[in-house]
Amino acid sequence: MKGPRVPRRAWVGLLLLGALGLTSWLAGRVFPDVLAHTCPLGADPSQPDHTVCERAFGGLWVSLVIGLAAGGLATAVGLGVAMAARAAGGFVEHQILRAVDAFFALPDVLVVMVLQLAGQSLLDAGGAGGLGPSGLMVVSLALVGWAGPARMFRNRLATLEGQEFVAASRALGAGRWHLLRLHLWPALRPFVLAVFLSRLPTAILTESTVSFFGIARMEPMSLGRYLGTSYAALIYEGGARVVLPAWGLLVLIVLAASLSAQALGVQNRRA
Amino acid sequence: MSRVLVRLGRQVMLVPVVALASYFLMAALPLTTDDDAKRQVAPEVLASYRRDLGLGEPLGFLRPWQKLWRGERLGTSAQGVTGDELAWKLSGSVGVGLVALGLALGWALAYALVRARWRRSRLSLVTELLPAAAFGTPVFIPALLLAPEVVERGHLLPEACAALVISVWPGIFLGTLVADALDTELTRDYVRTALGKGLSRGAVLWRHVLPNVWPALLDAVGPVATALLAGSFAAERVFGLPYFGQLYVLAVLQKQVAVVVVATTVFASLLVVVGLAVELVRVAVDPRAREATP
Repeated sequence: MKGPRVPRRAWVGLLLLGALGLTSWLAGRVFPDVLAHTCPLGADPSQPDHTVCERAFGGLWVSLVIGLAAGGLATAVGLGVAMAARAAGGFVEHQILRAVDAFFALPDVLVVMVLQLAGQSLLDAGGAGGLGPSGLMVVSLALVGWAGPARMFRNRLATLEGQEFVAASRALGAGRWHLLRLHLWPALRPFVLAVFLSRLPTAILTESTVSFFGIARMEPMSLGRYLGTSYAALIYEGGARVVLPAWGLLVLIVLAASLSAQALGVQNRRA
Repeated sequence: MSRVLVRLGRQVMLVPVVALASYFLMAALPLTTDDDAKRQVAPEVLASYRRDLGLGEPLGFLRPWQKLWRGERLGTSAQGVTGDELAWKLSGSVGVGLVALGLALGWALAYALVRARWRRSRLSLVTELLPAAAFGTPVFIPALLLAPEVVERGHLLPEACAALVISVWPGIFLGTLVADALDTELTRDYVRTALGKGLSRGAVLWRHVLPNVWPALLDAVGPVATALLAGSFAAERVFGLPYFGQLYVLAVLQKQVAVVVVATTVFASLLVVVGLAVELVRVAVDPRAREATP
């Protein structure tokens, strides 16, 4: 059976996201000298050996990788919790949902700050299980970000399970695994992608804010840490050139991810 | 009313859960390790951490609260805080947050009305791009752009600027919700009937449509209040405001673990108060909420 057509808006968002990732990878990793010699915005005031473009595109790569990893992990955990809740059903499902709601009520930035404090102390004592600062950030972001996806996946699964073709399949003797593999997962897959894309900007912005405070020790620097270490330049004439490129890149990432997530989300609601 | 009380009871349960979770997380830090080689702090600092958290004492987890109750300074240095100072800092942040909430509601209504008006024109692209720009802008960026005027030149009031920069994202977020609800409501039969009977568009909007949109707005006020208070952390840091957000960030940076425990719990309590206020407003303004209660 042919799947539903991917909306044009989603393609635009995905292409923009891909272009940003590719540009930051090429500029920061493959051809770093190009930005070092051709940046029209000049040198970074806090590290004159590097240009503003090098720092901004290098930061974009780090932010993007962390956002993708944290968004993916949060989505996977959310999906696992939702499936476990649906499988358990009844009282257990109700209690799991209540715990999910309580988790969802906690503010992301505050919890990530506390987790970073605890994780860095573990890191200093050599007890972080091999996680570096980036890994620690990914885990922290995933730990605060799974509750929203879990709620959405659980509701979507409940809706799908209530459909007639699932009831018919169940009446014909289909098992839980068969139902999931052949009927639920194909319908759920685009929704998983939409939820993952909606988590991406949230993870990147939370990481940026915590890094901006100087709490995360991201090295190489993410966009947030770069802004946090360079904002003193604003008090000088023309200092905005340091902040504006990183800000522009953050807006573009969020625009790309939001466009695709919204388009896929709308398509899923109609399906 | 009992259903509302049950919901509130669930929210109140969040406070002791957060208090205990944050306490045991902080108490489990390697600051308490017995291995001197792995310890990152001096023995005297470690001893003060232990005293501050009441480690090894019966009911030690109550120690930070006992210290606050007695008026003692919490924390291991002058950067700590007393109960009075904590209340003063919290009131500062809440004041900034309340002004920001008022501004956000204003942005929301303005955005929703502009979007409804421009829906079929070329300008609708602006209302589509605005949320992406607002959502992609962390609070600290507009704060940084305003910082030279506020901090260096002293031309603008820091509290007012903090409220302004915090309010933008929640304002646009609420605005998109109100705009979606408006789109739905404006196509309903009662709007056509009211217009057909000769009522002006303004009267239909204010008397009939907007009262049906408020519940959607109320649903989002809780998460928005959380975002406002979390956003104030960044604004306070940039503008140098000495309130709760600044206290929290400094406590984490300086590893003032007892202050982190208390501040986290206070923040969770504040969220419960916000939840209570939203529930009460919902019962007052939404007849469906009253009818839903047994």
